[in-house]
Amino acid sequence: MWSELRNLREGVDLGTPPRDGAAVSLTVDGKPVTAPAGSSVMVAAALARCPVPKLCATDTLEAFGSCRMCLVEIQGRKGFPAACTTLVEPGMVVTTQTARLQELRKGVLELYLSDFPAGDVPGGWSELHETMQQTGVTTHPYVAGENHLQAAVDASNPYFLFDPAKCIVCSRCVRACEDIQGTFALTIEGRGFQSKVVASQGECFLDSECVSCGACVQACPTHSLVEKSLFEGGEYRAQSPQA
Amino acid sequence: MPNPRKPDGSVVTTCAYCGVGCGFKAETIRGEIVRMIPWKEGKANHGHACVKGRFAFDYWRHADRVKKPLIRASIAEPWREVTWDHAITHAAAELKRIQAKHGRGSAGAVSSSRCTNEEIYLMQKFARVALRNNNIDNCSRICHSPTQFGLSATLGAGAACQHFDSILQADVILVVGANPTEGHPVFGSLLKRRVRQGASLLVIDPRRTETAESAHCRADVHLALRPGTNVAVLDSLAHVIVTENLHAAKFIAERCHPAEFEQWRALVGDPRYAPEVVGPEAGVDPAEIRRAARIYANGPNSTIYYGLGVTEHSQGSTGVMCLGNLALSCGMLGREGVGVNPLRGQGNVQGGSCLGSWPHMFTGYRFVTDAAVRATFEQDWKLELDPEPGLRLPNMFDAAVAGTFKAIYIQGEDPVQSDPNQNHIVAAMKAMECVIVQDLFLNETAKYAHVFLPGSSSLEKNGTFTNAERRVSMVRKVVPPLAGLEDWEITVRLTNAMGYPLHYDHPAQILDEIARLSPAYQGMSFALIERCGSVQWPCNPQAPEGTEVLHTKTFPRGKANFMLTGYVPTSERTDERFPLLLTTGRILSQYNVGTQTRRTGNVAWYGEDVLDVHRTDADARGIQDGDFVTVTSRYGETRLRARISDKVNPGVVYTTFHFAQSNANAVTSDLNDWATNCPEYKVTAVELVKVPTGKPASSRTPASVRA
Repeated sequence: MWSELRNLREGVDLGTPPRDGAAVSLTVDGKPVTAPAGSSVMVAAALARCPVPKLCATDTLEAFGSCRMCLVEIQGRKGFPAACTTLVEPGMVVTTQTARLQELRKGVLELYLSDFPAGDVPGGWSELHETMQQTGVTTHPYVAGENHLQAAVDASNPYFLFDPAKCIVCSRCVRACEDIQGTFALTIEGRGFQSKVVASQGECFLDSECVSCGACVQACPTHSLVEKSLFEGGEYRAQSPQA
Repeated sequence: MPNPRKPDGSVVTTCAYCGVGCGFKAETIRGEIVRMIPWKEGKANHGHACVKGRFAFDYWRHADRVKKPLIRASIAEPWREVTWDHAITHAAAELKRIQAKHGRGSAGAVSSSRCTNEEIYLMQKFARVALRNNNIDNCSRICHSPTQFGLSATLGAGAACQHFDSILQADVILVVGANPTEGHPVFGSLLKRRVRQGASLLVIDPRRTETAESAHCRADVHLALRPGTNVAVLDSLAHVIVTENLHAAKFIAERCHPAEFEQWRALVGDPRYAPEVVGPEAGVDPAEIRRAARIYANGPNSTIYYGLGVTEHSQGSTGVMCLGNLALSCGMLGREGVGVNPLRGQGNVQGGSCLGSWPHMFTGYRFVTDAAVRATFEQDWKLELDPEPGLRLPNMFDAAVAGTFKAIYIQGEDPVQSDPNQNHIVAAMKAMECVIVQDLFLNETAKYAHVFLPGSSSLEKNGTFTNAERRVSMVRKVVPPLAGLEDWEITVRLTNAMGYPLHYDHPAQILDEIARLSPAYQGMSFALIERCGSVQWPCNPQAPEGTEVLHTKTFPRGKANFMLTGYVPTSERTDERFPLLLTTGRILSQYNVGTQTRRTGNVAWYGEDVLDVHRTDADARGIQDGDFVTVTSRYGETRLRARISDKVNPGVVYTTFHFAQSNANAVTSDLNDWATNCPEYKVTAVELVKVPTGKPASSRTPASVRA
């Protein structure tokens, strides 16, 4: 019971929640592995130590299938299923690393990078940066176009800030606010390129329904939502309370 | 924004705020704490956090922290910085002088639920071996002492039946006098998750709390009762259960004393507890009482969570017993998803309760009057112990005012702000010859202290906390103590200076001693907790890695007891002069008396205590939203900003007590629970008067009101 909560491990991100179903045997990149029924292919790959690149997935949230970084090939299936939203089946044969998959992932990541501050690609340590290292993609071929790089930073919360320039609209923050915290303060407003994370009715974080639990900051894979205290001199320094 | 700095170190520890006891990773850069990340393996929080634990930690290095011991001859004098040796020697000399002059019983000690198990244990040991009396109490006296008493009386163990996750097995969740989304936010999120999954939610609370009624959490039944009528309403629920034959006859026959059940059934079955009688008195719809009772009894798994809205009443213990009776009558005990569970306010209230910081009990709730128990401690401590129970916290203050109690050693508590009837507490403080305060900050109580021993925050020491689900977790030192000593080391030094030799190399040795002397902690050790992450008591050879759910096969006394819970209204009543009922509570972003959270960015959300007033009552007094009002009770008065609110019913006003300057406890009464002296914070008859603009703040005791 409650393996979704109790089988979480520090320092390990299976990508989708751990399950407690009966063991299912499959093969990932030639390695035999068993995963509980109900697990995603992403979990099986992590257990087989063949982790699939991911951005919108984390094991504290249900799979969402939006970032398209975790595409894999499965014998007997058409196309390139997302490892996060595909459940394990007995005898499944999964391949996570092929030239075609690398090409697809490169294409996805390049698009993300085309709207990410180039100066912050080196020296970062977010999950996005880890994914760049994992895939070897750190640049993009696109000419400068419409982007979000000049979007205003929301620093209204005393403890964290939201820099939309680094946001990839993966919805992890929105889902953390809903599923983990249960406050529903965040949403994605707009469609397509106009999509953006907003708090309540487009208010700043401090004035919104946000209860500052930090679940969104914890969930953010790009340091778009990040603790102010991680910046030199960024800690909140409170005044002495009135006597 | 540039890339953030990457932490280079991390220590897993336990949050010291509320009783949820979340696991955190304290991350550091070159030894400086830069952030707190919820620990994914924390069994109370599973990687979730709230604004307090996650972000409000900077109080630890606030400029107001006291870093050197302070002494002064009288409270009129300024503080003088001295060395640790000087302060300890001076404090011990004063205690000895006072005891020599006024008798052994003239001194006492108070432990804190913000301190570790090891520190709480040492405080009671200090009282017993250094002061040589049982004048030791803890702050759960003023919050959850009725829990310990009421649940022991019915179920045989004064602690939560379940672990938090168990709520995910519940079909019906009954929340009484608690607002988990504000007071215990991480558990509140779990509760809301279960409600979203379809569980029925029943709330008994005078206010329309976020738990009862908000966009994403709505109770199926909310009994917004008049403050002070808990026992009547709970007995009325029981009335419906027994008169409609909804009780679990098989469970009662097997697990309870049938004759007791029959007595109880006769009491609650009496027509005076019919919803149609109780409803009008409590201000709730009788049909809703019936509906709530049926939903609870129908389960299949019904669980109860409750807070200080149950305990802080003149019938607080009775209220807790009502909850025990209710669960027994419907067989809602001994498996996942059921039970009776107190939500504890401070991080270590359960530990405070377990570890013998009581004037009448040793660790494990065993009586000091029991010669066999006493002998165990006498053998271990190699000293004859006082067989007479000591003074309870309020009795210490009463005795101080009466002139027989002259010295107190207070660790990590601020009674002047947190205890009821503030004027009385201040009088008691002023009457004492030696008040020793050990705290992070010069708190309100320190104004009346003669010795100030600078303590250490939970980030600066090693030890363990026991959370509201009996879970013992590690508190680990992230940074060295700012003032040089961990709190347990201060108590050890003071004990030695009093002439009783005491030595520990590490708190692990103190936990070993606790385990040796306390049945529920028998198997506990730092090594076990390190291995398991955390361990829930009872932990013994039968349950070597602890116990998640209590009462699965039998109760500690074999069978459980139905207690008779007749309703006796509080003597704190409204009348023409004081027509409104004031009740108090907490808000998400602030914690308790606010000494920590007021010194963090959390003031961005809540910078002052406000008084919620219903539009009807405000209009009748010409009060507008944002006006300052004088709140007057039979005990004192204070001034608060009014907020027009539909969260309270007409006739009820509500405030928090997080800010010293709002002096909420200047108006609360000194009425208290009949069994445990837990103060009746939740019901005070008051009147409001709008303060003309420009009038300065005041908080005092008008002679006319006092009389």
